[in-house]
Amino acid sequence: MAESARAQLLARLRAQETETEPEEIAHALAALGHAQAARAPHPDVHTAFLANILANQGTVELARDRGAAVQAIGRYLYQRFRTHKLVAGNDPRLAAMPWRDGGVLPRFGVAEAGDAAALSYAKLGVAETGAIVTFTGRANPGRNNLLPEDHLVLVNREDVVSTLEEAWVRIRQDTQAGSWPRGIQFIAGPSSTADVEAQLVLGAHGPRRWHVILVGDTPTSAVDAARESLATAPF
Amino acid sequence: MKLASDNFLQEASAALNAPEKVARRNLLGQFLPLARDSAASKYGDFDALRAHMKRVRRHTSEHLSHYLQQFEEAAVQHGNQVHFVADAEQLNSKVLSICQAHSARRVAKGKSMVTEETGLNELLLKAGLEVLETDLGEYIIQQAGETPSHIVGPAFHKSLAEIRQLFLDKHKLGERGLETASEVVEEARGILREQFLAADVGIIGANALVAEHGTSMLVTNEGNGDLCANLPPVLIVCTTFERLLPRAEDAMALQRLLVRSATGQPQTCYTSFYSGPRREDDPDGPLETHIILLDNKRSDILASDYREILDCIRCGACLNHCPIYIGVGGHPYGWVYPGPMGSVLTPLLTSLEQAHALPNACTSCGRCAEVCPANIPLPDLLRDLRQDESVQRIKPARWRHGLRLHAWLLRHPALYQRFTGWAMRLLGWLGKRRGAFRRMPFASGWTGQRDFPAPEGGGTFMGQYAARRRRGVRRG
Ligand code: SF4
Repeated sequence: MAESARAQLLARLRAQETETEPEEIAHALAALGHAQAARAPHPDVHTAFLANILANQGTVELARDRGAAVQAIGRYLYQRFRTHKLVAGNDPRLAAMPWRDGGVLPRFGVAEAGDAAALSYAKLGVAETGAIVTFTGRANPGRNNLLPEDHLVLVNREDVVSTLEEAWVRIRQDTQAGSWPRGIQFIAGPSSTADVEAQLVLGAHGPRRWHVILVGDTPTSAVDAARESLATAPF
Repeated sequence: MKLASDNFLQEASAALNAPEKVARRNLLGQFLPLARDSAASKYGDFDALRAHMKRVRRHTSEHLSHYLQQFEEAAVQHGNQVHFVADAEQLNSKVLSICQAHSARRVAKGKSMVTEETGLNELLLKAGLEVLETDLGEYIIQQAGETPSHIVGPAFHKSLAEIRQLFLDKHKLGERGLETASEVVEEARGILREQFLAADVGIIGANALVAEHGTSMLVTNEGNGDLCANLPPVLIVCTTFERLLPRAEDAMALQRLLVRSATGQPQTCYTSFYSGPRREDDPDGPLETHIILLDNKRSDILASDYREILDCIRCGACLNHCPIYIGVGGHPYGWVYPGPMGSVLTPLLTSLEQAHALPNACTSCGRCAEVCPANIPLPDLLRDLRQDESVQRIKPARWRHGLRLHAWLLRHPALYQRFTGWAMRLLGWLGKRRGAFRRMPFASGWTGQRDFPAPEGGGTFMGQYAARRRRGVRRG
């Protein structure tokens, strides 16, 4: 039955099409080019990234290096949950961080139902939409993005690209060596819903808060500039 | 889902007589277009984006068999089982047989209009499975035993007070306030969380299928679809072949159009590309994944003059901008897809005979086509369906004769002008005292809500135009 539905569909489609060589199709496709990215809220790519995260109801913080990132995470956990505990994937970059210095006690593995906070080390940040990109796998189990109350994300300054198209150039490079990951997730904000009288409520099914820490030498004024660019946005 | 479109007129009148609901719809009809306009102008040249997507769609549909095979090959390589099904029944029984093969008891569903179309839940429930809708809007209407009224916000027709009462009745959780939207969402979150963790099978839809990678793109804000795709041991993606796009970048372009047109966001909280079951050393994710590709008359539509409706990306903008949809809401349309896109799709996916009222639910104002991110000429398609309705003699004889008379009059301008001139003079004379009519024969639909203004004299537009020209010519 299934096979015949397949054959039937393909036959019907082919009856509508003019036969074309795959190379020709590829050529025609390439000629279509790509779409334009959205207008950026700020000319500086990192400021634009921060501005869009804020617009997405996320919170942002800057950390000069991984040591400073650990400190920031420790402060965040204490302020939000009076805890030092955190779940994180088996990402070698995360394993190598000076956790003890910040008084943080990470558990490396998969998030469970009761976990308050999870940490991901993003593959990429996308300035155009204020999104971060993670691949599911040992380094970042899919559940870690979804189950905890708060989702904390580290992004390296040099991993922030300006457009969604650039993000895919990087994703293709990153997946060339290994096998294709089960899931590639663009995350842009805490989970939200507007299903009750079209009112925005954060924390629908996934994280209630989403905190992005940009790691690297970013001038502290960038956060203020990001806030300002939102306040003065033309619309 | 059962088709009830032939009751459109009665249901629409009933809907217009519920002032509270009318007022809420009017608010949505103002708020949602504003959100869309603001997002579209913040983007930059939104029309260029629409035109780009249209070209990509044209290309894709011209080589659909190629891209379908490319997708299938890549998806199978990732470890998916890909199934082709011709109609609703085949899809439903395929899903059921997968569930049964795993002795599944609980199914968690993300939002999927395709499975609304096939009436999947009904079959699964009959077979003794527990089926839970996890999108908050879908969950609300499932609990209420209702059908979606909007393709993006299925429960937009319900007020907070109604949802509160529903939850108080359905969730036995004792005394509680439940007075704000946040509290309502919080309660649903708690209940659904347990269900996600206990589900044996997850079912989701797809916003796009990427041929080059064999992945499906899922766009959500709540994250419920992602929980369905990540937690249960078996995942089933129910979708249709016209979601295919060649490249990941094309899916991103679609996503740019979709979220701005639907909610006015630049990107939803979650945009995920799923490729298959968990990899060898993955610590989580489904162990088995299925992709079911439904035809259900879409290949017929592709071969017809209505093929452009297959470009629809289900953003809901045409609903939000349609005076008829905002006036009467989604339920009178009587099936899964309401508003302009539904008025085109429903007759094509079911039958024009049963759904012929829908293409007539159109004022030809053109707002839907103005905002449709897929550049679908919705008013033209609706007009063509009305034409088919007339040619196939589905339209009631009284209407057909009336239209024929009208057409004949239009082809005889002198007679038309004389006739409308008389009618005007008569109405002007009859309504001289009040300046308006409270009631009029054949027009109670109009006068039920407002008065009909009486013509003020001075003749018809054409009459006045001709008179002015004569005067002008004399003066010149
Ligand atoms: S027809 Fe156009 S506007 Fe309407 S839902 Fe589809 S894509 Fe959106």
